[in-house]
Amino acid sequence: MLKEIEDIKAKYPDTRAALLPALYIAQKEFGWLSLDAMKAVANALNLPESDVRGTASFYSMFRLKPAGRNLIQLCTNISCMILGAERLRDLLKDRYGLLPGGTTEDGRFSLVIMECIGACGTAPAMLVNTDLYENLTEHNIAEILGKYK
Amino acid sequence: MITLTINGKKVVVPVGATILEAALQNGIEIPNLCYDKRLSPYGACRLCVVEVEGQKKLLAACSTPVTEGMEVKTETPKLFKARQTVLELLLVHHPLDCPVCDKAGECKLQDLAFKYCSTKSRFKGEKKHELVDTGSPIVERNSNRCILCGKCVRVCGELQGVGAINLLGRGFASKISPAFEETLDCEFCGQCIDACPVGALGSKPYKYSSRAWFLEAHDNICPYCGVGCTVTYDIRDGKIIRAKGIEGKGINEGNLCVKGRFGFDFIYSKTRLKTPLIKEGDGFKSASWEEALNHIAKKLKAIKDANGADAIGAIGSPRCTVEDNFMLRKFMKDVIGSDNIDSSARFGYAKIQRAVEMSFGLESLPVDFNSPLGKEAILIIESDITSTHPVWGLNFLKAQRKGSFLITADTRETKLTRHSSQWLRLKPGTGTALLNGIIKIAFDEGLYDKEKASRISGLSFLSDGVKDYTSKKVSDITGISEDIFINTAKRFLKAGSRLISLTIGTSEDTKGLNTALAAANLLLLIGEGPASLQMPAEYCNTFGMWHQGLRQGRSGRDIISMLYGEDTVKALYIMGENPAVTFPDASTVDKALRGLDFLVVQDIMLTETAKLADVVLPAASWAEKDGTFICAEGIEQKVQKISQTEGEPVPDWQILRNLSRAMGFEVGAKDISALQDEINEIKTAERTAETIFNPVEYIPGEVPDADYPLTMITGNLMQHSGALSVMSRSLSHVLADAFLQISNADAEKYNVRDEGFVKVASRRGSVMVKARISDEVPQGSVFLPVHFPHAKINTLTHLSLNGEAPLSAVKIEAVK
Repeated sequence: MLKEIEDIKAKYPDTRAALLPALYIAQKEFGWLSLDAMKAVANALNLPESDVRGTASFYSMFRLKPAGRNLIQLCTNISCMILGAERLRDLLKDRYGLLPGGTTEDGRFSLVIMECIGACGTAPAMLVNTDLYENLTEHNIAEILGKYK
Repeated sequence: MITLTINGKKVVVPVGATILEAALQNGIEIPNLCYDKRLSPYGACRLCVVEVEGQKKLLAACSTPVTEGMEVKTETPKLFKARQTVLELLLVHHPLDCPVCDKAGECKLQDLAFKYCSTKSRFKGEKKHELVDTGSPIVERNSNRCILCGKCVRVCGELQGVGAINLLGRGFASKISPAFEETLDCEFCGQCIDACPVGALGSKPYKYSSRAWFLEAHDNICPYCGVGCTVTYDIRDGKIIRAKGIEGKGINEGNLCVKGRFGFDFIYSKTRLKTPLIKEGDGFKSASWEEALNHIAKKLKAIKDANGADAIGAIGSPRCTVEDNFMLRKFMKDVIGSDNIDSSARFGYAKIQRAVEMSFGLESLPVDFNSPLGKEAILIIESDITSTHPVWGLNFLKAQRKGSFLITADTRETKLTRHSSQWLRLKPGTGTALLNGIIKIAFDEGLYDKEKASRISGLSFLSDGVKDYTSKKVSDITGISEDIFINTAKRFLKAGSRLISLTIGTSEDTKGLNTALAAANLLLLIGEGPASLQMPAEYCNTFGMWHQGLRQGRSGRDIISMLYGEDTVKALYIMGENPAVTFPDASTVDKALRGLDFLVVQDIMLTETAKLADVVLPAASWAEKDGTFICAEGIEQKVQKISQTEGEPVPDWQILRNLSRAMGFEVGAKDISALQDEINEIKTAERTAETIFNPVEYIPGEVPDADYPLTMITGNLMQHSGALSVMSRSLSHVLADAFLQISNADAEKYNVRDEGFVKVASRRGSVMVKARISDEVPQGSVFLPVHFPHAKINTLTHLSLNGEAPLSAVKIEAVK
């Protein structure tokens, strides 16, 4: 991870500018941004820890709590909402006990409600880890999630 | 220049100014909560909105640059309404606990609400209910009152270079906090307190002590370092209860460090001397002034009669005023008839002065606190300027931020090394070798000013003198890799404008006369003048004391001869100095002091030295007398009596005048102005400036060996200054004990636990301190701050007399 951050640093005029990509690298490495992960980033970039935590706590795409093995990001913006995203959200809660921002007991899934994914024409849509799924229904979502252990 | 109209008035301002700056420069107030002259524009509070002709939207004056012919209106009904709404929204969340808020009466939000708001609000919202952070020693944070203007965050990060706090979270949940919501643990400079427009950040010692409108503000000069900051002291019932910096005021332009802001309370210490004391048996008895002065007069006369005037010496103080030191000199010359007078500057500033005389033939360096700004390359040699001269240190950080290439050569990690463009982590005390190496590269690569250098005598000696300092050798001595050394040296030499800065203080052991000479050699060689060498005087009046003649007279004896020689003096008169703690090689000093026939100490407290005295005289502190300090820039600044005194302390100069009278001499000095007139009449001898190269060798200090394997670095902490600041209660809340800083590797090697006690021994003695494990020091070196009297760190140190750095080798042993 430190090597990767070192490489990314070279692409930016100063280390503060490299903070967002560095946080992504750390999140990819650990699954979420623990206190130690943020301290490591601060150290690698020679930035105050308060800058790192401030930035990480501002953006919703950084996870400050331990996350499950697979991250579901469900869009509930207008097109997805009209086409049933809220029903899907309820389904995740009923069937998996998964609340927005939460993690299943077995640590298999975490759920984040995300802002528009840019798939309005094929709504509702979600990301599982980095895979995009469109035209979701109550039937196919179970099948899709079945692929992730 | 740009011409624009504000409220119908034509104004002319420089290109790049913002509307707010243009308005302020012309005496037009625009309300704001987040603007600070020292910081870059932020635009958070939206109160400074103005109307600009031709623009549909309201513009934030703080972040809109002026353009030619712009027509600005700062007070219109539309703006009034906009500001009213912003304030109304702020007040939805603000707790309105003004009756118990220290800020009430001087709160910007309160003032603006008074001007703009009605008593009714159209909005309903939640208040915050965070716990108040009362855990930190002197700064208290109440985030419920916070309006999230972000000024404290920017002052801390941008100006102070610390970044202890930041905005966490987003939306209503956002708050200002240390990184992980822990208790604040920072430098405690308190700059955030002055910056906070509301009562979210406050001074803990000041809390609940007064309403703002009962305070009387008085400006005075700070009693700590050589920067000479103007501090605004708030007085109630004759007592200082708070210190603050006012934007733009003084050399410091309103900036203060932790010592200046919180350290004034040493004058209210319970241990202040109230009456003269005369030794009786093992203790002291209280005496009247008359009794004490007559006793001293009789004793000094007897010693003078028996042993001659040369058996009597005096030590002055860089913490006392010009008038005090002048009077001490006058007393010694006219009344005693001796030139034996010196001060602690012998161990620090005297070395700087010697180098300046030898290299430039000048009486003093043109020290300028703005000198780092705009320099292309800056080289700092083993000096933690942000600790010794904190407010000046800010200008080095600023220079770096604005594009200067800042090279910091230091063994320890400091705030400067963290902000450096290049940190050269050299071995302690090897700065001279580093500088000699750069000189050699300049010769080898032709990177020097041939024309100017050839006109300076000693050029060939210099090139001969450095010919052994090959990059390989420099790398071996300093421990810096050869590549990094060569690249950094060339970067410095090729820069368009260059500056070298270092401090030589009484308590620092990594530099000596040779370091200063080597720096002067390098600068002269590359065509730079004395203004490029910034070596400031250490304390509030070190400069004034030195230049008003308080160094040993031509025929007199210096401190080394008076205290360390075979034939020490018989009687000593010490004013405002604590040699038993602050002078190197404490055991020798202690022996000399105990061996005296007669010792007089005049001080504000019963110091370790005063405890050894035959007579102790209570002196007035800096805030209890009128006088003059001369700061490191050479600027004379008046100090004033602003605080009442308990007991019977008297200003130092008056004690000496009264003593002269008791000895039967009329020395004039009827009052302070008569004394000042006398001082002003003295003309300092003109010197003919002559530049000379003085080649120097790198002489190692005590080299670590099998018996004493570690190098001890002594120095200053940000929160302390000499042995004075430890008498401050507030500063002691932050740091009250000496400690040994040791690397993880060495801690493991010597079985040292964090916070565990260790015995540290040098060839001269041993002390016991707590350990702090930190990789701010590398393996092989340990760091010890010298401020704390009980630790007696100077038991371990020694004198350096050959121009070398007085480094000591030590061994450590963990105490079970």
